[in-house]
Amino acid sequence: MKYEEALKRLEEIVSGIEENKLDIDRIGESLKEARELIKSCRDKLYKTDEEIKKILETED
Amino acid sequence: METLTLLELNGRVRITLQHEMPEPCWVQAEISGLNPTGQGHCYMELVEKDPSGRTFLAKAKANVWRTVWLRLKPYFEAQTGESLKVGMKVLLLVSVTFHEVYGYSLTVQDIDPTYTIGDMARRRREILERLEREGVIGLNRELEIPLLPHRIAVISSATAAGYGDFRNQLSGNVYGYRFYVKLFPALMQGEEVERSVIAAMDAVAARRDDFDVLVIIRGGGAVSELSCFDSYDIAVNIANFPLPVITGIGHERDDTVADTVAHTKVKTPTAAAGFLIDRMFETASVLENMTRRLGDAVSGRMETERLRIERIAQKLPSLYAVVKVRHEQMIENLWNRAVSGVRNMLTAHLHRLELMEKGIGAADPVLILKRGYTLTRCNGHAVKSASDLRKGDRITSVFPDGTVESEII
Repeated sequence: MKYEEALKRLEEIVSGIEENKLDIDRIGESLKEARELIKSCRDKLYKTDEEIKKILETED
Repeated sequence: METLTLLELNGRVRITLQHEMPEPCWVQAEISGLNPTGQGHCYMELVEKDPSGRTFLAKAKANVWRTVWLRLKPYFEAQTGESLKVGMKVLLLVSVTFHEVYGYSLTVQDIDPTYTIGDMARRRREILERLEREGVIGLNRELEIPLLPHRIAVISSATAAGYGDFRNQLSGNVYGYRFYVKLFPALMQGEEVERSVIAAMDAVAARRDDFDVLVIIRGGGAVSELSCFDSYDIAVNIANFPLPVITGIGHERDDTVADTVAHTKVKTPTAAAGFLIDRMFETASVLENMTRRLGDAVSGRMETERLRIERIAQKLPSLYAVVKVRHEQMIENLWNRAVSGVRNMLTAHLHRLELMEKGIGAADPVLILKRGYTLTRCNGHAVKSASDLRKGDRITSVFPDGTVESEII
């Protein structure tokens, strides 16, 4: 998932919980999804993505 | 008519010129050739073209002798940020000389850089007006820099100090953000800049999906040589470029045309790196903020639910009490009703018993005898009819206080 999309989904979940739109039984599930999204976003900011590195290292 | 030798003729031309034009004068011209020599002099070719720029209207050689060149060159560069080059318009203070062997030439004594600056500004203005007319001037600025601008295509010369600064700045960012930088080398000084930069841009555009932004940087040279970035062709390529373009081509004076059409312009390569780091910081802040909000939202929601349950739990005893009282009353009512029901029933029975008792009392023979009646018996049986008795029967009359024997006569 692209960073922008992940952030958008995250916003949906957070405002869903904030505005009491989410079923209480599904909060655990949403929280898990949100945590995963946050992790993937953080990884993109702080961790080296070997795939990107490889693409950019290939010569034209 | 006299006949002269060539030397005599040329000598007269020289004297006439010296006589007619003894003072130096300012001349506007375009440089069409520039050859600094090993001895420290500089030979120039000056031209004037017609407005189409294709036809020469005038042409002259100009010499800048070493002593003048040593002063004039740095002065011009300091004032304009440019070195003198072919195609540049200049205003020169010249004296006209004629040499019997070398012919007509100009000797340069001074230069007025403001004329060149004005000409460059005019040229920039013309290019900008053209880009405006063609509707491309704001195109690149309309693109959005992605939230995560970490895949960076760089156009620079590999050896430029500015490129090194840019890389170091990015890789050493204090937040630990990851950047991926790929250099597309280009000449950033000299005649070939335009062609070379455009070729590099084409190479980046061919791989546009691999990158988030394009950064054009240069820096390190003594003279900024910016006029190559006042190029219509470079500008139109930047304006139409599919990725946001950030320029950091290093200058203090007015923006170049390339800067004007770029998405973002900064002064130095270091500032370009700083700009990207700031963008990542914003992005990271949004994420951290979101993470905080998530935590708050979940604990807030849980707290709300806990309070809800607590409220219900608190209500339970009092609710129970209400129910209990209600039930107790019901039970009491029932009991009362039962008690009064039983009481009524007993009263009714008692009444009936009393009545019965009364009835029984009325039938007591003793009571009847006391009222004056007698009971008549014959042969031990009660006589209920006179016809049951015959003459001579002996009867017993029973009184309350005794009996009397009698005989029927």
